[in-house]
Parts: sequence; C-alpha cells; structure tokens
Amino acid sequence: MSATTAPEAALSVLPRADGSAKYSYAGYTVTASVNGPIEAQRKDEHAQEAYVDVIVRPAAGVGGTRERHLESLLQSSLSQLILVKNFPRMLIQVVLQVEAVPDNDYENTKLVQASLNFPIIPALLQTAVLGLLSAVVPMRATATSTVAAVVFQDGAKRVVVDPSPKELAAARSVHVLAFTSHDELILAESEGDFSVKEWDDVYDAAAKICCQSGAGNADTAMDLDGPVNAGPDMRQFLNSTLEAKVAADLYWK
Amino acid sequence: MAKFGPKRQGPRSDIPAKLGRTHRQEHLNLTTTHNGHHRPPPRPPRRPYPPSLIPTHPKHPLRLGPGLRHVPPSSILPTVAGQLIVNPHKTSMWIESNGGRYTPSPSDLVIGRVLRSAADLYYVSLSPYTPPASLPHLAFESATKKTRPQLAPGALVYARVSLANRHMDPELECVSPSTGKADGLGPLTGGMVFDVSPGFARRLLLARSRDEGGVEVLELLGAEGVAFETAVGRNGRVWVGSESVKAVVVVGRALKETDEGRLGGEEQRRLVKRLVREMR
Amino acid sequence: MPREAEPSLNEKQFVLQALKEDVRLDGRDLDQYRPLELTFGDQHGVAEVTLGKTKVLVKTSAEVTVPYPDRPLDGIFTIATELSPMTAPSFEVNRPTETEVLLARLLEKTVRRSGALDTESLCLVAGQKVWSVRVDVHVLSHDGNLTDAACFAVVASLRHFRKPDTSMEGGVLTVYTPAEREPVPLSWLHSPFCISWSFYGDMGEIAVLDATWVEEQVRVGSCTISLNRHGEICQIAKLGGTPVEAVALLQCTSVALAKAKELSGLLDTKLAEDAKRRDKGGLLAELSAENDR
Repeated sequence: MSATTAPEAALSVLPRADGSAKYSYAGYTVTASVNGPIEAQRKDEHAQEAYVDVIVRPAAGVGGTRERHLESLLQSSLSQLILVKNFPRMLIQVVLQVEAVPDNDYENTKLVQASLNFPIIPALLQTAVLGLLSAVVPMRATATSTVAAVVFQDGAKRVVVDPSPKELAAARSVHVLAFTSHDELILAESEGDFSVKEWDDVYDAAAKICCQSGAGNADTAMDLDGPVNAGPDMRQFLNSTLEAKVAADLYWK
Repeated sequence: MAKFGPKRQGPRSDIPAKLGRTHRQEHLNLTTTHNGHHRPPPRPPRRPYPPSLIPTHPKHPLRLGPGLRHVPPSSILPTVAGQLIVNPHKTSMWIESNGGRYTPSPSDLVIGRVLRSAADLYYVSLSPYTPPASLPHLAFESATKKTRPQLAPGALVYARVSLANRHMDPELECVSPSTGKADGLGPLTGGMVFDVSPGFARRLLLARSRDEGGVEVLELLGAEGVAFETAVGRNGRVWVGSESVKAVVVVGRALKETDEGRLGGEEQRRLVKRLVREMR
Repeated sequence: MPREAEPSLNEKQFVLQALKEDVRLDGRDLDQYRPLELTFGDQHGVAEVTLGKTKVLVKTSAEVTVPYPDRPLDGIFTIATELSPMTAPSFEVNRPTETEVLLARLLEKTVRRSGALDTESLCLVAGQKVWSVRVDVHVLSHDGNLTDAACFAVVASLRHFRKPDTSMEGGVLTVYTPAEREPVPLSWLHSPFCISWSFYGDMGEIAVLDATWVEEQVRVGSCTISLNRHGEICQIAKLGGTPVEAVALLQCTSVALAKAKELSGLLDTKLAEDAKRRDKGGLLAELSAENDR
C-alpha cells in the first residue's frame, strides 16, 4: 500500500521554534518542534544533566494513557541520544504533533478518545531526531527506526515491514526497533505472541533497514527463509536530508 | 557597533572601527582562512574522524570548536549536523552549522534585555525562556555606585559574555577589564532590534562580513545614502539605530529577508534597490 | 513554568513610533494582511493555514454517539482549542492561559453559536444516535493574530470535511465505511470569518489589521469582528482596552466586510481546486454513482 512511497522530510518548518521538522512516511505525518536548552521547571531540574521533555499530541481527540506511554518510551530513547550532560539544569522540549495516520477505508474509526499506538513510534522518533538536528542540539548519535509485523498467510510466516492497518489487524505480533548510527539497538518494543526465532528474524529485517547505508530496494514483504530485503534505507534517507540542510544553511560559503 | 551611511556623527562616533574588529576576532577564536583548509563532505554525527583529518602541531594544542567532542583517548566525533572546517594554521577544527538556540560562550558580544535590577547587578535575558545572565552594576565604563547607568526593566544592553560554563548562569560585562574602556558596549537607546538566525549573526560579526560572510546589504544601504548604525549580538539579535524610522525598517527588512530568503550577492543588490525605492 | 517572552522597551517604543508614521516593520499597509496560505491534507477535513509566521492546523472528525438528554434532536459540535508548548514553551498542557481561553471563546461564538453548521442535520435517531463532530485546532507557530488564522482554518476544515454516509432501513441504522459509500459533506449554512483590529495611540485612533506578535504586545485595545460575506455580523468582541470612537468602529466594520469577502473568495477557490485534484479521471465519481441507491 502506502509503504512503497519513500519517506519525506522537511526541516525548520516552524519559524519561531529553535528547531522543527515535518516527516511523513507510510501514511503517517508528524510535525516536531524542539526548544532548548531552556530553563527547566523546578520539578524537572536535574543538577547534572538536561531533562528531555517529550509531548505527543494526537491529531484528533484528547490524549490519554497511550500517549503518555509513547512519551515515556521516546523520552528514554532521546535522553540517550542527546548529550544531556552538556546542559545541566536545563530543559530540552520536544513536542510531536501527529497530523495524519493511515486511513483504513474498511472501518470507521472512533476518534473522541485518540488511540495512537505502536506502529507510530518510528514516525515519532524519526521526526524527533530530525527536529533535534534542526535545533543543533548536540547528540551522541542519530537514530533510525522501523516497525515490523509477523503475519501468518497461507500457512506461512512472513515478516512484513511497515505493515498497513489491515496487515496490523491480522498480525500475530508487532515489533518496533530503533538503532543508533553506531548500529546499537536503542529501542525494542514488542506486542503479541512470538518466538525467539521470530524476534531474531524481525531484528535482522529491521537492522537491514535501519543500519545499512547504500542503495536500498523497496520491497514490502519477504519470506522468513528467503532473501532478506525490504523497506527503504532509513540511514541513507537521514543522510541525504541532512546533507540538503547543511548545504542550505551554508549556501553563502 | 558599526556605522553606515554618509553621516558619521552620532552618539557612538567615538569608537574606533579597529577596536570593534578585535572583539570579533577574539570572540570567534576560530577564524576561517582561505588557503589550506580541508572541506570534507558534510556528515551527520556518527564515526570518529580519521587521524589524517585532525591537524597537529608540535607546540600548540588542538582546539575544538562548536559541534565536536573529544572521546578519550584520541577520537574526535561530531555532535551536530554541519560542515567540518579544519584550520591547520591554528590547529583548530569546528563544525559550521546554522540554527538552534544561542548558547553563551566567553567573549561573545550579545544584545540582552534587562529583566530587573538586584542589589548590585542586573538580570539580563539573552534569549527567551533561558535563565537570565547577570551584569554587575559596576561593569560599565567608569561606573561607581553613584554614576552607574540606571537601566529600567526592558532596556537593551550591548555586552560581552565574561563568564559562561555549563554549571553556572552566564555573566556579562560592558567594559573591557584590561583597559577600563567601554569599546562601544553599554546601553542601547532608541532604535529597534531584529531577530536573525545565529549563523547570520556570526556572518555579520566576521571581520570582513562582505567577503567572508557574503553579507552586502549593510554596505549597499550605506552607499545608497541611508544613515544608520548597527550592533550585532551573537545571540541572533541585531540592533539598528537611526534618526529616521523608515531607515531602521528598511535595514531590518533587508537583514531579515537576506537571512530568511538565503540571498546571494546579486539578490541582495536587487533587494536593496527595491527597498530604497519603496522608502522614497 | 518558563516566563513568557516579552519585547524590550526599545522595541515597544519603536513599533509605536513607526505606527504613528504609518510604517509597519514588514512594510505592510495598516489594513493589509500578511500572505495567507491554505492547504488541505490528503484526508478530508485537514486544513493548514499559514499567515506570515503564524501557522494553524485544524482537523475535523466525526463519530456516532448519544445526544445530550436536553437536546435529543441536535448533533454534538465541539471545537477543541488547546495550545501546546509547540506554540511557545510558556504554554503548558492542561493549564489554559488567557490567550487560549479567548481564542476558544471567539471561535465558539463565531462558528458554533452563529449556526454555521446545521446541528439538527447531524441527528440520526432522535434521542438515541447523533453525529458528534469534533474540530481540533492545533497552533503550530504563533506570530500574532491567532484568531483570524484559526477561524479561517476551522471554517476551511469543516467545509472540506466529509462524514461517512448513513442509511435508515426498518429502524436499523447503517453507517457505511468509505469503501462502501463515498462520504458526504456536512450541512453547512454560512461561512463566518474573524477580522481582528488592533488599536494604538492615546485615543486608540490608529487601527491596524492582522497584528504580528510584537504589534499585539504593544496595542492599547483590540476588536474582533466576525461576519460572513453577506455582511451579517455574528459577533463583535471588544474586550477592555482603550475606548474607541463609534464612527471609527463602523469604519473598521466596513473594511472587515471587504476582507471577509476576500477570504471567502480565497476559500471557495481553494476548495474547488482541491475537489478537482481529488476527482482525477472521474474514477471516484463513477464508483460512488454505482453505490448510490
């Protein structure tokens, strides 16, 4: 479905924030604003390092516990990426505004209680990283992330990268993985029933997308035993986005 | 503080241009040279730079500028996205980038807004939502308890960062500690401040902003007969003063449009022509 | 909470001095808007409005729910305006500021209370099932004149929105998914727009349209006039500030009407453009024609 389209990003889209980014991929569109380092509230102040505040806001409806859960996941990942020790007692604030989630034409959604969940994490994390880069916040490493689902189809198991809402509904288990630019696993969240073998396959597929810089081949799904090749090359995407930003910033050189 | 236009008198005509220039070089610490530095392609934060890129000198230690960090024993890693600039003559390297919030560093020239006055110092805001910097009441030229300038909340000052580190709130001064002279620093009266990007402020502060920074609008406007003076703060603020309101607006618009529109030399010349025509 | 940003004394004095000389910092005329841009999202009911450096995103959504017991025949229509720290770090989640309350009140009065949306048409089964239409206003960037930008975005979003089609057969209500039947637009009665004036000078004699953030900080009073292109005024809000001459206010209203007509024209053009873009090859129209019975 929409997974075949390439990810798109624009940096510094909000003129009054320190840094911002708009990212869209696989039906998700997220805008991030980053402000910082700024003065932290007394309750958030840490004597040795900066506090990273992440706020996730759904496109429609009021946020609830799911959003708070996503915030805590992202907060721990981003705190590891940002060099928080450089800014003691300060606050780095990342606000992620979800603008669009994939449509499901076969279902009418309930919207008053927003329900963001798992598969949106890669979009949120990617936008946050781009926003931080746009805000020139010093970081230890960048990160790339992807989502994969294990689905049973015609009696065979398959790992589907960037699953569509329909595939998600049918999936046995869903996994979100994120890697730093040093190829370290920084976030791994799973939902559903799965075996260690399945997780290993998911890990290989995700590492392929997140950690390989080179010409990627867009192919939505693959067999567990067949040649592993799927999804966009996220690191290549991040690099080219940043090269464009740097070239634009330093146009006067 | 720099002056432009035909009229050369005004409250700050006594400042020798040369002194202003020394500040700029001091505060940059790392000046670009046009010959002999490498320009590898930009890269996001990732792997250590190969030793062949890192300049060495038998006597001078290596100096790391913004955007780099040293991981013992000998790895140098980038922390922000930008272009690596290596200056072998000064054994220095840094990442050139634009954007983000201003982080104070010693000997930067900044434009601050007075928040309030305490017993013996002013609290000054350098950028919104950041902890205030302190400016002692006596850190002005020939200031005593009785003759110190009285600054109301909201007043603007042009100051130098005298102390900045990650664990303390920054401190400012409006006087050179060695000579006791103001060197153009002090309260800014009248005029208007315009917000620009930090990278653009740095370009304006370069010793030769026209050749090295590619900013021509100020000189061009001066040549067109617009009389004004400017003070550039490294914190992304430019103060423009003039007797004519229209001149201030034209200078401000020229600066902001050059910055936001990323204008090159030819476009800047066209912009100035248009603005001057509109003004008259 | 970080304290709110504030302009310096020099800025305040300069902006006032310049306005007295009919000069604005960005070179606009006193009654000129900044460039206004409107874009629609891929989904129906998503509108993004950019007014200079002010940016507002609005999303409309709908679901079937139970009506309020005291209004069994009316659908539910809510406009949610929550300013997040994205607008400025001084805004906190769940702690409404004055800006937020005023914006919410003005939108409520302009769009909801003026009957722009026919809430009776949202009723499916009296007293049991109605549509609940929810409009979420997200302020992405705040450089003054939030009201006008947000109101324009809300109206654009509601007119762009399509709700799922429904049918009643033998007392059974069916809500069709977008795949089964093409969604239908809301029953829209008129399009109100907010036009905000800011006043300067000792007597409030200088009136300025579409003030930027700095200009808003130094104004002595403001007045928001909500009206549609037929000149029907929905509300006038002059909340405190320096009193303004009645004649001057009349003058403001007539300029506002001209601006409302401009905005209305722009919105119609953009909606038509978007409809054309979506209707590529007439395939959608063909599909929905088959389903229509």
